[in-house]
Amino acid sequence: MSEIKKDVKGNHSHVQHVEPYTPQFGTMIPSGTQKFMRTCVIWQVCRFLAINIKMMTLIIKSHH
Amino acid sequence: MARLVILGAGVAGHTAASFAAKWLGKEHEVVVVTPNAKWNWIPSNIWVGVGAMTKEEVTFDLAPVYAKTKINYKQAKAISINPEGKQDSNNSFVTIEYTGQGKEGESEEVEYDYLINATGPKLNFGATEGLGEGTTMGEHTVSVCTADHAVHAAHELEACIEKMKAGERQKFLIGTGHGMCTCQGAAFEYIFNIEHTLQERGVRDMADMTWISNESFLGDFGMGGLHFKMGGFITSSKVFAESLYAERGMDWIIGAHVNKVEKGMVTYESLDGSINTQDFDFAMLIPPFAGVGMKAFAKDGSDITSTVFAPNGMMKVDADYSGKPYAEWKPSDWPRTLQSPAYKNIFAAGIAFAPPHPISKPMKSANGTPITPTPPRTGMPSAMMAKAVISSIVDMMTGKSTEPTHTSSMAEVGAACVASSGKGMLSGTAAAMTVFPIVPDFEKYPGTGRDINGTTGEIGLAAHWVKHLLHHAFIWKAKLKPGWTLIPE
Repeated sequence: MSEIKKDVKGNHSHVQHVEPYTPQFGTMIPSGTQKFMRTCVIWQVCRFLAINIKMMTLIIKSHH
Repeated sequence: MARLVILGAGVAGHTAASFAAKWLGKEHEVVVVTPNAKWNWIPSNIWVGVGAMTKEEVTFDLAPVYAKTKINYKQAKAISINPEGKQDSNNSFVTIEYTGQGKEGESEEVEYDYLINATGPKLNFGATEGLGEGTTMGEHTVSVCTADHAVHAAHELEACIEKMKAGERQKFLIGTGHGMCTCQGAAFEYIFNIEHTLQERGVRDMADMTWISNESFLGDFGMGGLHFKMGGFITSSKVFAESLYAERGMDWIIGAHVNKVEKGMVTYESLDGSINTQDFDFAMLIPPFAGVGMKAFAKDGSDITSTVFAPNGMMKVDADYSGKPYAEWKPSDWPRTLQSPAYKNIFAAGIAFAPPHPISKPMKSANGTPITPTPPRTGMPSAMMAKAVISSIVDMMTGKSTEPTHTSSMAEVGAACVASSGKGMLSGTAAAMTVFPIVPDFEKYPGTGRDINGTTGEIGLAAHWVKHLLHHAFIWKAKLKPGWTLIPE
């Protein structure tokens, strides 16, 4: 069973809980930059607009 | 004047009723039959299930909304359909049994000229030993399928949090409670909301979290998975989903048919045929869905249920039910008009229609037990189907056509899904996914089966904001407040 560990600074690490040769070891883990961008408000405002455009496009394509 | 009867007032039924009232006006009568007094924005039940929202924020009373639109609302459940009438009458009718409005237990025959079956599913807790009895949830697990279930789940979660604060380690098990479940997305969103809640409450270190599902791979979602552009690659939803679980330190069990639930333990059969157990302190397992169990009778009173409904209780429509093998499946197997082949004035929309087959490749365990997700058809597809059906019926009722004029095949429409991880505007992150089409078309889109420009997935705060936007927009729309028609399905 995976257990959330803390790094040497006492912070939760998004990588250190992964144990070698478990299923979690075989997939991708987001980097610090990726995690930062996920909550970067300026970037996310842009993504908010992009997601809305994508969804509206999807809706238009779906109505017959 | 003709009468349209709509069975159900969920996403599909309420969408159909709203447009019917608007388009048909006073010329025709619209009747809605639903056993529920309240409308429920089900996607937000996830937030109720972690105590981030109240039941009142995700539900509202149907009666005032239908009163202002002149919809004849009957709080009752449909028992049977007589599409040919009865011996002394040729008029089609449904038999209903009241569950409210002061007429509890009373039966009534409601005649119709057109009928939409949008009853949604029966939550078939009884399919798994110990998961519940019939439609009633059992004592060992929780559910987020209804607002009341979600309130109960939040209660149980709070009790676990208190134990963790007191130093007692807790095991969480979230997923599907049977080998033939659908709605993995709801459970998927719930496990991430629990994880986020435990982080916020400072007890994540005290929790062991495990996902259990009938999917043959993580990210199948009952759609055979999907692919989208990410980081310069065409990435599988398997990698996308595994990454989310790995990032948060959650384990997963896949290809599992849960066949027994006891206090603190589930027993499940895996695709390799092995029988295993998993302990838990808190478990939310989605039940399988079935039809609501309506019967159908011919004019002479003979039972024609098998003509109108599939064995699982869902209504047969213009789909290919020949039961052909996976290698021969085609997008054209999926219904387009959602009209009953037996009775042209009956349609089905949303979960109530019988899919021709799963979307995911059928799997069986080494013992022969089917372990395959059934097709998801909640939310956006339900609303789009309902709008196509009501558009056709309005054209038929007003004499513009004798045949359905609109279509909505799951092989030709897309879907959007937002799975939150928390509710904050600046904390937590959600996954936003779009898929087009829902049923893969490997002839039109060789390789992945889907339009790679219309199938997307990303994680971030923006998806949280979209989830909030959808919550408020769709409740506004469902309340038929000014401008509701401008909000698309």
